[in-house]
Amino acid sequence: MKSRWVIGGGDYLDLAFHAWKQASPDEHVQKIEVAQGEEDELNLAVFEQLDPETGDAFIAFDDRFGNFKRMELFRAALERGFAMAPFISASADVAGDAAIGRNVFVGSRAVIGHGCKVEYNSVVHAGAQLGANSHLRSSVWIEPGVQIGSGVKVGAHAIVRTGAIVHSNIRIGKSAELGWPQIYNTDIADKTVYDIRYDEPIYVYNYSPSQT
Amino acid sequence: MQSRMHPKYYLSQEIFDREQAKIFRKVWLFAGLASLVSENNSYLTRKIAGVPVVIQNFKGELKAFENICLHRSAPLQQGFCGRRALVCPYHAWSYDSSGAVRQIPDCDALYRFNDGERQSLKLREFALQQVGSLLFINLSSDPMPLETQFSDKFIKLLEDSSKQYDTEVMFTTWHASFNWKLVYENLRDLNHVRYIHPKSLGQALKFQKHASDIFIDEAAGPLTDLSPAGLRTEMRRFSQAGAEDAEYAQARHYAWMDMVEPWRGTDGYYNWLAYPNLHIASGTGGYSFSIENHVPVSPGKTDVEIYYFTAKKKQPYATSHQVLLSHMHYSKKVVGEDIAILEAVQSALHPDAPMPSQGAYETQNRLVERWYTTLMETGHEI
Repeated sequence: MKSRWVIGGGDYLDLAFHAWKQASPDEHVQKIEVAQGEEDELNLAVFEQLDPETGDAFIAFDDRFGNFKRMELFRAALERGFAMAPFISASADVAGDAAIGRNVFVGSRAVIGHGCKVEYNSVVHAGAQLGANSHLRSSVWIEPGVQIGSGVKVGAHAIVRTGAIVHSNIRIGKSAELGWPQIYNTDIADKTVYDIRYDEPIYVYNYSPSQT
Repeated sequence: MQSRMHPKYYLSQEIFDREQAKIFRKVWLFAGLASLVSENNSYLTRKIAGVPVVIQNFKGELKAFENICLHRSAPLQQGFCGRRALVCPYHAWSYDSSGAVRQIPDCDALYRFNDGERQSLKLREFALQQVGSLLFINLSSDPMPLETQFSDKFIKLLEDSSKQYDTEVMFTTWHASFNWKLVYENLRDLNHVRYIHPKSLGQALKFQKHASDIFIDEAAGPLTDLSPAGLRTEMRRFSQAGAEDAEYAQARHYAWMDMVEPWRGTDGYYNWLAYPNLHIASGTGGYSFSIENHVPVSPGKTDVEIYYFTAKKKQPYATSHQVLLSHMHYSKKVVGEDIAILEAVQSALHPDAPMPSQGAYETQNRLVERWYTTLMETGHEI
């Protein structure tokens, strides 16, 4: 029996584990929690017992540290030879020509329109909708019920939270966070954070252009 | 000891206007970071004491002007910062580094200004001074020297530490419902830390509990020298820098600290308090800094502008903005605790509210109050 190791932490680890378990009754699905140390570093020893020949890994860390913790674990798994097939819920409506990358999670009743690209390590939660020809770069986090129009480009590591509606043809910058429940109808600069606890967006200036 | 701060100083529009005229349009105020205007044509816009200001880089030279076009009063530059020549977006009047009109499109055909009219078109310019990475502005037509407002030691410490600021800056604004003076009073009162921040700042830093060593209430009597020079000298005492009597409960090390060159001025909680409305702090022993700028909006409203940055990075790294965001969220928690109690104080104030009673440890605030009420209640100026 092939193994499916769902590796990560927090509520999202639980969610992904149960999703895999329900979807893959013929696999041995296991949940593996990764400990974070004093300085929030990940304990990668979890991989020592896992063999890409006998199973596949799925990385399930949430949006913590701007999705960089999931990215770190994803890279560690990639180096160790895991294929990290995406999870696509049976009830999701994914267009036949949509491209879905490694370690992508597509939750139940999510809709992904034709011509969409969802790059590796991105998460599209339950009920989120992606209009036609939209493009999510890597390690993006889309919360339940988010509505994204068509032709939208979402930069790597961006976060779009429940309640956000993104108009068609908008560009959301890298590492931006759309956390205010509202309509976004202008382009959002890289690293701009709309956090519900704040009165104004948080901006970053003079960052290095090479940063992803 | 009874405070001099009658509730009206926190509630009255008339007092607020007097403060703006007698303090905010007379003293040096923090205007921004030089790293945000480091390129030719880059600019910052600010509203200083109600006056819209643009700080513009002209081939390396920084100038501050009133941000209002002399033609139809449109703002010349818009947004917090950006990069664009000093040209009005409305009818394309452009200005040079002296504030004079450089070009008016179709001037002869449409406007028919004579030479005298044209030469008189000059933006109001304000004094601007750079201290390390910090910009200070003075709206007065006859500004006092910066060295009058701040001591040499204070300026040197600002300069030295701010040279170590990284250029990547995180910025946001909180709209708080309290009078701006409540903030500096709170910042000059460390006794609140263990009650207001028991689980945040009070956990990370142990402020020493010590009896007040002030035995003479210097502020008991009136100010003696009421000349502008005397009042300026007194004001200089309100701006201070130094390490607080605080010890790290646990000197935590984070991975990002290896990525930066810290300012080697301190191991503890370092504070720069610049009267009237600037607070710079490094709670990480010189590895990172925050700037709080408390901008009075109305008697009951203050914009708290927050800048976050680390010490200079050794080299760019991918998650640096996330490090800043973690700082920002932590500070949101700590300063949020301050804002909550200060908003509660403001909400309870009314014209007949009791005058505050102060203890010996509040001597700094008592000195500021004596100076402030003298300025508000008499015709004396700084």
